[in-house]
Amino acid sequence: MEKYTLIITEKPDAAQRIAQALDSKGKPKKVEENGVPYFLAHRNRKLVVVPALGHLYTVAHERGRRNYYPVFNFKWVPRHLAERGAKQIRTWIETISKLANDAEDFIAACDYDIEGSLIGYCILKYGCENKEGVAKRMKFSTLTKSELEKAYDGPLSQLDFALIEAGKTRHEVDWLYGVNLSRALTSAARRWSGKYATLSTGRVQGPTLKFLIGRERVIRSFVPTPYWEIRAEVEIKKSTYEVEYERKRIEKRAEAEAVVKACTDKTGEIKKVDMREFHQKPPTPFDIGALQTEAYSLFRYTPRRTMGIAQRLYLDALISYPRTSSQKLPPVINYKNILKALSKEPAYKKLASKLLEKEELKPREGVKEDPAHPAVYPTGNLPERTLSDPEKNVWDLVVKRFMAVFGETAIKQGVKVSLEVNGHNFFLRGRQVLKEGWMQFYKPYVKAEEVLLPPIKEGETVRFKRVICDDKFTNPPPRYNPSSLLKKMDEYGIGTKATRADIIGTLYNRRYITEERIVVTDLGFDIIDILSNYAPRVISVKLTRELEKKMEQIQSNSEKRENILLEAVQQLKPQLEQLKEKEEPIGEVLSKAIKRVRMQERIIGNCPNCGTGKLMILYSRKTRKRFIGCTNYFKGICSTSFPLPQKGTAKPMGKNCGSCGWPLVRVQIKGRRPWRLCFNPDCPLKEERKKRNEMQNLQPGSPRKIL
Amino acid sequence: MKCRICNREALEKYCELHEKAYRNIVQKYDSWKRAMDVSWKEYLNEIAKNPYTGSWAKEVAEQLLKNEDR
Repeated sequence: MEKYTLIITEKPDAAQRIAQALDSKGKPKKVEENGVPYFLAHRNRKLVVVPALGHLYTVAHERGRRNYYPVFNFKWVPRHLAERGAKQIRTWIETISKLANDAEDFIAACDYDIEGSLIGYCILKYGCENKEGVAKRMKFSTLTKSELEKAYDGPLSQLDFALIEAGKTRHEVDWLYGVNLSRALTSAARRWSGKYATLSTGRVQGPTLKFLIGRERVIRSFVPTPYWEIRAEVEIKKSTYEVEYERKRIEKRAEAEAVVKACTDKTGEIKKVDMREFHQKPPTPFDIGALQTEAYSLFRYTPRRTMGIAQRLYLDALISYPRTSSQKLPPVINYKNILKALSKEPAYKKLASKLLEKEELKPREGVKEDPAHPAVYPTGNLPERTLSDPEKNVWDLVVKRFMAVFGETAIKQGVKVSLEVNGHNFFLRGRQVLKEGWMQFYKPYVKAEEVLLPPIKEGETVRFKRVICDDKFTNPPPRYNPSSLLKKMDEYGIGTKATRADIIGTLYNRRYITEERIVVTDLGFDIIDILSNYAPRVISVKLTRELEKKMEQIQSNSEKRENILLEAVQQLKPQLEQLKEKEEPIGEVLSKAIKRVRMQERIIGNCPNCGTGKLMILYSRKTRKRFIGCTNYFKGICSTSFPLPQKGTAKPMGKNCGSCGWPLVRVQIKGRRPWRLCFNPDCPLKEERKKRNEMQNLQPGSPRKIL
Repeated sequence: MKCRICNREALEKYCELHEKAYRNIVQKYDSWKRAMDVSWKEYLNEIAKNPYTGSWAKEVAEQLLKNEDR
């Protein structure tokens, strides 16, 4: 049998792209064995490109019972042995092992980062009988043909063991924290209530939830104070402009009213016209955090969603590797070639050509660096398939940001006109863009909101037509949203660029937080209360950050995996002992909180009849059938009730019916599309629908009529 | 001792969470009095219906109002 080189990639899409790029004819043969695809290519010699499915191996308890803790002995095992629902991993590993038997050389071509390096290493070590020592490593930042060919022709002579060691340590430490703490919480609640509920916390989850709790406490105990803002409408050269009072806030009502009285219908004078020019430098290239933040603020995509979209664009070779913390664009990526390629797309032709006219292309860069990858940039490839709208949006954003960083500084002019009336000062502000610079490349994502003023001279008079006093109150600090939370985690250095979005997702899944503008649930509060009382070190932001730094040091060979694991165990042990000792009170608190959260999830809204109760999804004591009823139903005070479909799941939507204003319920039956149910029997929409159906039935030839 | 509002463990009248809200209410009364010359009861009424008031502060204000009425 002809010997070949086995190339291992992270995902099937990447395998296809790599095989296509390396095959001398660009047409590799796709083979499928037991549902596992791999590709046969030729390039001087035979190549077999086989994908993984992300991590095929994971950390698991070496031996012992499932729900026991503390556990500190672990080993790396195939994922299907440790996780439910990972059955296909077995055939995947078997196929790779079979292909490895006849392979002569091995190349790891997974993404060049901690996770990718670890995926490749585990497959080579455990699935290919210890080939990690002889395997080579392809290093690339985009899946474009030219870069993949270059990476194949000049691979690294061995695997990146420092990165692998860092990855292994991170997984092992996370496993130690996650498994032990989650088991402690889950088993405490289970022992008290006899019911199972998944509760979890982890090395990063805990401190992240703690951030949220800190903000939630401030918001919930916030007491606003009143203040007043004064603005006026003035007439200048027959046009009306709004001017603001010299003091932004007035703390006394009487004082504000006196200002209004003194200025209304009076003539003022222009005292000073102050013009200022300011320069706005181009933005820096996208690192993954900045891309996620921008996509959230422009399109409202959660960080997790943006990451998913960016990953798809990367696999389509449209953008470079997105999981990067770099804000640098090295010249080696060849700016000119990218812009030339982008100019083939009509939407970018004009802008790209403008940049290509420049003598020198120099990007504005940020300070953040990533040893493995540059900032996110478009490869210059154009889509080979129709992109979905979200994919189009993110790709366009990456392209325009890339172009904007090469733009010139934008110049803006601000005008501040000071007006005096009856001893009080007001300001009129204008702004104008003098030179668009980089802003022209970043439209529509940057808007120049201009306020143009007429020619104004000092000494001119203006009439104060109206003076308005607005009642205001101080606001609580804003709630975090997934994007601002991600930024905060980045700022505090907890979690990694690849895991932060998933951790936020887990907090939602565990019902510790709800809603887009994040609200912490009672369960979230109780988890942090318990951990603060019995295991404060595991939610310490400072300790988490320190551990994170040490793990990063492994990458530069200045720290050892063993030391970090030992430190993690030493930190965890006393905390877990405390949790075990207080299992009973902890279980009680958690069980009650879980019950409250579950009750809360069934509440639909206020009862329209009794006014004191709440409508919620209830279950009949006799038949166990579900219905919507008032919480006063079982007390015998209010008999308001409405039927519900018995099949599938029914959940309050948190929205009201557009027609009658009653709360809506979302009903979903497996295999069918979910629908909104307005349970108001007198809802006008229902009447309309009824009439429409009746009309249809009356029409000749309608299916019902025939039947 | 239990919190008068939520039944959590309390040191005095309120649990740790509602106690913080209570202290905020007392502390902010001075600003309100200076700004609008309101009485304590008027102040409690105002903050109980203000949309910016936090839920714990609202609960405390409502509980204090009930006590005032008694």
